[in-house]
Order: sequence, then structure tokens, then C-alpha cells
Amino acid sequence: MVPEDLRYSKTHEWARFDAGANIVTMGITDFAIEQLGDIVFLELPKVGAQVTRETPLGVIESVKAAVDLFAPVMGEVVEINTPLADNLETLSRDPYGQGWMVRIRVAGAGALSGLLTPDEYRKHLEAEGRH
Amino acid sequence: MSEFRKTVLHGRHVALGAKMVEFAGWEMPLQYPDGIVAEHLKTRRFAGLFDVSHMGRFIFRGAGAVAMLQHVLTNNAAALDVGQAQYTIILNERGGAIDDAYLYRFFEDEYLLVVNAANRQKDWDHLQAVRADFPQVEITDASDGVAMLSLQGPLSKEILAGVLESGSLPEPRRNALSLVTISGCRVLLARTGYTGEPLCFEMFLPREAAAAVWDLLVSGGASPVGLGARDTLRLEAGLPLYGHELGVDPEGREIPIFACPLAKTAVSFSPLKGEFIGRAALQRQHEEFKRILQHDPGPREVLPRLIMPIAVLGKAIARAGAKVLAAGGKEVVGYVTSGTMVPYWKTQGERLAAQLTGETALRAIGLAMVDSRLRAGRPIQVEVRGRAAEAVIVPFHLRSDAPPYARPVLHGALETKGPAAPPVPMLGKVHRLLDMAAEDTVWRQRECLNLIPSEMTPSPAVRLLSVMDPAFRYAEHKEVRAFYNAEIFYYQGTDFIEAVERMLEDELRAYLGCTQVETRVISGQMANTAVFSALVDCANLADRSTEPRRLRQVLNHPILRGGHLSAQPMGALGDFVARDPKTERPAVVPFPAMADNPYRTDAAACREILARYRPELIIFGKSMVLHPEPVGEIRAMVSELGLEAVLMYDMAHVLGLVGPHFQEPFKEGADVVTGSTHKTFFGTQRGLIAMNCRPEDERWTLWEAVRRRTFPGSVSNHHLGTLLGLLMAAYEMNHFRDEYQKQVLANARALAQALKHGGMNVAGDPALGYTQTHQVVVQVGYAKGPEAARRLEESNIIVNYQACPHEEGFTAAGALRLGVAEMTRFGMREADFGPVAEMIADVVLRGRSAKDPVKAFRRNFLDLKFCFTGREIEARLERLHHLI
Repeated sequence: MVPEDLRYSKTHEWARFDAGANIVTMGITDFAIEQLGDIVFLELPKVGAQVTRETPLGVIESVKAAVDLFAPVMGEVVEINTPLADNLETLSRDPYGQGWMVRIRVAGAGALSGLLTPDEYRKHLEAEGRH
Repeated sequence: MSEFRKTVLHGRHVALGAKMVEFAGWEMPLQYPDGIVAEHLKTRRFAGLFDVSHMGRFIFRGAGAVAMLQHVLTNNAAALDVGQAQYTIILNERGGAIDDAYLYRFFEDEYLLVVNAANRQKDWDHLQAVRADFPQVEITDASDGVAMLSLQGPLSKEILAGVLESGSLPEPRRNALSLVTISGCRVLLARTGYTGEPLCFEMFLPREAAAAVWDLLVSGGASPVGLGARDTLRLEAGLPLYGHELGVDPEGREIPIFACPLAKTAVSFSPLKGEFIGRAALQRQHEEFKRILQHDPGPREVLPRLIMPIAVLGKAIARAGAKVLAAGGKEVVGYVTSGTMVPYWKTQGERLAAQLTGETALRAIGLAMVDSRLRAGRPIQVEVRGRAAEAVIVPFHLRSDAPPYARPVLHGALETKGPAAPPVPMLGKVHRLLDMAAEDTVWRQRECLNLIPSEMTPSPAVRLLSVMDPAFRYAEHKEVRAFYNAEIFYYQGTDFIEAVERMLEDELRAYLGCTQVETRVISGQMANTAVFSALVDCANLADRSTEPRRLRQVLNHPILRGGHLSAQPMGALGDFVARDPKTERPAVVPFPAMADNPYRTDAAACREILARYRPELIIFGKSMVLHPEPVGEIRAMVSELGLEAVLMYDMAHVLGLVGPHFQEPFKEGADVVTGSTHKTFFGTQRGLIAMNCRPEDERWTLWEAVRRRTFPGSVSNHHLGTLLGLLMAAYEMNHFRDEYQKQVLANARALAQALKHGGMNVAGDPALGYTQTHQVVVQVGYAKGPEAARRLEESNIIVNYQACPHEEGFTAAGALRLGVAEMTRFGMREADFGPVAEMIADVVLRGRSAKDPVKAFRRNFLDLKFCFTGREIEARLERLHHLI
């Protein structure tokens, strides 16, 4: 599933922009969750952390592997979904809603430039040989 | 992925939607749609089914096969009897592992070696190279023609039993083998596995049959499990994975075999192995390993590090390769060899009542190669993503010793002492104790049905005598040859007890029909220990200067077939039986049981065992017993074979039944009789040893040794109070025995019939009335024994749970053991056991409480029979009572 109201990174994070507050909410996509398999561990950044697109802001682990999480935008972490780490089933149940991970304050809508639209993300998935 | 090899079940995995991955050149299922975590949990709670056909299977045949296996493997191949398997390691000259493996002996002349898929070619090449020195050995690679499945978990036994067409499951212990038929084809079945599950089965079957058997097991309830969960399960069980805990480490260094926790079980230095590859290096490792176990502070040249289980306490996952630091994070002490997050089922309740709930949780665990000076409990840190996560070394993550479940052991879940109770004045404690004792006595003596077969209520006379004056005195005495073997007493004031002992010996000699009785032992197990000690003493009479030799071979009843604790190596016998050089285990061989009645000894089959093993000691007697012992038959065989065996009958439970209604041991040819004087016998809690011999007999030497090993060998003070009580009990036995014994045996049969009639599953031979003793055994369902016994106790019916011969151990007990002797003494007769059986069925089958009817019923049976009562001795008992 690729919701129409979101933007996507190539590393399978999604971003939802709240224009009024200049806050981007992020999480990981359906596809990423399905690829990981059983998710057994999640580490999120601290509130106040400055994040960019290049540095990992957290880690998500399955039984077999640990995968870095990247911020889809640059900005400051203002809120994290703390209960999520103890309720990892929520991720597979509702990855785009209750499964949100981090809220980041951005300068403006420009922070989302370069992210993929839903169509572009779908093409990205196909191009990588998966669907 | 098409260039990878496929097992015969590949199609099944794909059809089930498995995520396929490459492993050692094979395309194998990593996980099925439910995922690794779910598969792990299903194995631990139900049953997991694994396709392990990718592993290598080599068959060794020919003269010299054992010699070659001894040369190329770490374990003692000669210790394998047909029907046994062992863990073993293919090793190199340096004491490192080429591969770990399992060796199976399904047939007399054939050995099956199962190796890891990743090392199959390497192992084959190595074995072929070694084979050059063993030209008569034939090694066949059966890996393609033979498929292999693994079925593991608490329901595995039930599922497998449901698909067997012929043959039976292996004995209920690890490494036992059997041959069966499933789906029309022969399957080699082994109780082995790689998950830590106590109920575990691996099977070898023709390739063509694999799919059909897979389907049968899946429709029987088994869940397919992939390589992902195979790894999490073995990690939780602390089992090594080649390439991580064995073989070569990430830095390319060889892992010494003894660094791996399972090495001990895989390595043997038995002289039967002769010289073998890597022996010297392995021996050096072993020497240092022994020093490490003794916490020797000396140098660690060969084993600077050992692999130990670790538990992560912080929020992080330790994975292979992560550095392990000493607490404080200053010093690197090792690295993680395997690690991940594994799931477990949460439990509710404690000990035997612990149940799996529907909830699960995760824990981060691992195995780590760390400084060999570290020990369990030691806090450490694991470096995860540049930060130090708190962790601790633990002794294990999982235990397999309480079947039917493998039980996760969580670090930090140990009981902590609650807040200290507020101080109570001493007199308050005294009052409370006296009140509790009174309440307990009222409960057991007036409100319960006491059906525990090893228990008896002694008469008021016996009980009173037990607390009269000699109860706290000493009366040590010994035969002195200078005085024509008269007993010389070391203490004064002993005339009374000396007379009592003599009278007791007279009564017991009359009761047992023998010439000699030793009464100073204070329990049945002590009696047995004294006899074992006496036997060893006699075996070494001619040589008192070198190390005494132990008993070379013993024939007994194993504990799972009802044999008593004392007769097992883990009990009293352990100190007195030698190790068999071939098996490197205590030299004990079990009595065979009848195929259709595991409670009955197969006397005919004993001839071959006697001829083959030539035991020095034969121990009859059981604590779960439905039939008399074949003493007479065995005596005849022993004489015929000209064996020097001592026939010992530990009568324990059945001492009170000695006589024409049950059996007369000395008449049948027993050399020694031991017994508990407090089960079917009316006595206080003591033991006795009896023999029927005279000074001119050969056996007299043994008798003298029995006396010596009783005193001063086992006792100093021999508890004179219960000795006095026992004399009264002996009078009662001799006076009332005929009526009592007949009633006990009739009552047992009546109870058995009534229980059967009420719908319970009564063990034993229906043609014989199910029981020929005071006991009745009832099967209530695999592992359901403890709960049934608990619920019966809540209804004031006191019985005990017991494992049947086909069950792994007491935690998996599926039976109840009942005895009628005590209630017979309270006046119950055949007809009375009808209502008893009904009340038992009400609790066990219908889940109701029977407490009130039981209490009401018991009120009819408050007076002890088969003793001297009322006017006969009232006045004298009063007098004694006043004297306390």
C-alpha cells in the first residue's frame, strides 16, 4: 500500500507534512516492514536531536538484521512515538497511522523537496525488482 | 537462485509461501509466512517440523568401521549399543573442529554419521583421506537417497505416535533410537534434535517417502519451521553453530573444541579409542579445562577464552561480532559469537503448576567467547553501535530437564526475599507450632483419605512407645570375637533396649522366615547403602592395601520403570558401582520389561542378560509395583549359569506383604532382603536387613560385613525410640498378618476394578485384577499427573503423581500411584473402595470437588484395626501417656 497523501524516500521512509505547524511526521513503509519480517527492536532518536537526510536517526531490527532508519527531511526532532518500541505489532498493523515514529520540525515545505511522490515510489519499488 | 541444490521437499516449501534463501549451496526456507518469531513460539508450545535433508549423511560399514570412527571422531564410538546415538566432532590435529556431527547406530553393522550441510564436501574429503589407513571400511554418501526431517516440541510425541503404522517410539530419553513404519515405509527414528526441546525426534527415510510423511505430520498438527527459527531455537538452547561456536572465528583463529560448552559431551579419552587424530592437543585442552572448572588461578595457555551464554539487560541486541567489555567498559574481554532477540511464552504459576499463558515477550540473548576466568553472574557490557549495553553472563538460557516443555530461564527472574516478617515472641511461635501440629494431625488422621502407597499410620501403642525414654539414649554395640561374638555395649543404662533389640530380632526372624536380621539401620535407603557397602567390603577382603574395587556389574530396575532411588547410580548405588570402561558410565543394566506390560519383568529375557553381563549384584524391588518379583526364576538361571551373583530384594513397599499371599523371598532364593518398616509393614520409619545363613555358609562373610557396615559403617546412634516402637509393630504384624495381608490385596483389586468401572485408565493386567500388590496405578494423561494429584489433595484425597515407563521424568508424569494399606488398617474393605473410586473420578474426570463427601466418608473409618486396642491395653497406654 502506498498512500496518496505522503511523500517517500528511496530508503523506504514516508513523510507527512503538516503545513500549519511545519512538522513532518515520519515512519517506514509497508514494503520495508514486510521485507524486515519479524520486527523485534526499535531505537528512536532523542527529542531535540538535529537530523539530516544522510545520518541515521535510529535503528530498526528484525531477528536476522539491524537496519538504519534515516530522516526523510532535515530538521529538529520534536516528538517521538515512545510507546511504539514496546508495541511493535502496531507497525505491521498500522504503519502509516499509529506506527508513526518521529515528528520533525522543518523550516518549510521546501524540506520535502527531493522526496518521491507516491507514483515515483511505486516505480522505485518496481525498478528494484519488487512489487 | 536456480543454480542452488534443492531438497526433495523444495516444492512443499514454495507452495507454503516460504521465503527461500541460499544456505550452503542449497535453496532452503528461511521462514514461512507466519515468520521466525511465530515459528519459534510454535515449536516451544506445540511442534515444529524442519526439513533438514540438506545435511550430509554418510554410512560406515565393514570391519574396522569402529576403529576408523574412533580415530577420526572425538567420542567413543564403541560405547554405542544398537539403538543408540551420540554427539561427536570430526576434529583436526590441532584440537579444532572440522565439523560437529551426530553418530547413529540403528543397525548392528552400520554407523550413520550426520554432518552439517556447509561442511559436507570438506568432511567427505577428510574422511576419504583418513580411509586410506582403513581400507576395509566402506563409506557411502547416502545424503541424496535418504531424506531427513526433524520434529520438535511438546506435541511432537503425540503427533508422531498418531502416524506410526508399526514399531514403537524410542525409549523416552535423548539419543534413543527405534525403527518404525510410517506411510508404508520404514523410518529410522531418533530422539535427537537441535532445539533444546526434551521431546525431540529426527527421522531418516527414503527420499520418495519424504513428501507423504511431511504431509502426514503437518496434518497431524506440526508447524513447518525454517532456518531462521532453527537458529533462534538452537541459540536459546545454547547449542553451537559451526562457524560461530566451533571451527574458525571471525579473525580466522581456530576455536579450541573445549571452548565450546558442549565439548564435554562429545569428547571421550576412553582407552577403547586408542590413538586418535588430535588426541594430544585435545588432552592438553582437557587438562586446562579441568583446572578452569576448579577455578585454578594458573595460566590459561590453551583456553584463554570460553564460550558462555550472555543476557543483555539494556535496550539493545547483541549480535555476532560485537565486542564484549568488562563492566566499566575499559577492557575488551571477548566478542559475541551468536546473538539476537528471541521470543518466549510467559508463564503463570510456579514450579509444577507453571502454565504457558497466551502472552509472549522478547529477550536479547547470545553466546560469547570471553575470558575463561569469567563466570556466570558477572556483569559485562556489549558494544552495540558505538555504545555500551549492560549485559551479564548467565549459566544457561533454557532448561530441558522438566519435560514436556523446554523452559526458558530468564535472568533476574530469581526470587528475591520479601520483606522480613515482623518479630513474634517465642511463646507465640511455640503456640503456633503446637496448634499447626494439631491441625495437621486432625486433617490427615480424621479428614483425609490417605492413599499414598509408601505411608502407614502406626498404632497408638507403637507411637507412644516411640517417644518413651530410650528414644533419646545411646546403645551402640558391636560383636567382639574375644567374647565369642557377644554384643558388647559401649553405654550404660542399656539393659532395656538390649532386650528390646533381641526380642525384635526374634519377631522379625519369625516374620521373614530367616536366621539373621539387622535392625539398627534407620531407613530403607540406609539399609540398601549398608548392603552395597558390605558387598564392596567383601569384594576387597583379600586386599586391604590398594584402592578398593567397586561392584563390576549390577542388574536393577531403572527408576522410570519403578525402580527405587537407592538402586540407581544417582542414589545410594552410585558410590558402590564401577564405571563400565566401554560406555564410561556406571555399570548398571536394567531388568527387561514385558512388551505388553511395562510393569512386569520379562523373566525369560533375563537369561540372555545374565549370561552376557554376569552381574555381581541383582537388585529386585520397586517403588511402583504391581507384581511380585521373579526371584525364583532368576535364582534358577543364576544357578544354571554358575554366576556368583548376590540376589538382593529391596522389599521396601511390600515388606508388610511377606508371606503366602504375596511372596516369600528366602524360600525363592533371595540372599539378602532389605526393607522399609513403615510402608505396608506397621512400623515406625526405619529399615532392616535380613539374610538366611549360618556361620558355616559362604554367605556368612557377607553377613558379617553387613553388620560392620551398619555399625560403625552407617549409624552411631540408631534411634532407639523408633526401635522400641518397631517391636510393638512386629508383634502386631505377626499377630494380624494373615487377615491384614489378605484384606490389603483384596482391597487393591477392588479399588482397581472400581476405578476402571468408573471410567479411569487403570494400568496393569486385567486378567490378574490389575494388581497383585497394595498399589494401583492410574493413568491420567501425559504430564497431567501433578495437576491431578494437586486437585485430589484439595479434595482431601492424598495420592502421588508418578511417571509411567514411557514418560521422560516426573515433570511429565502421567500417572497417579495409589496404595490401600493405610486405609485398610483403618477398617476399609472391598465394598468401601467403590465410593472412594467414585470420588476420585469425580475430581479427576469431572473436575468437581469431593472434599465434603470425603470428610464425611472418612468419619466411618477413624479407628485403627489390626492392632491391640481398647480394653486389651488401654490402662497400660494411659500409664505410658502420663509418663511423657
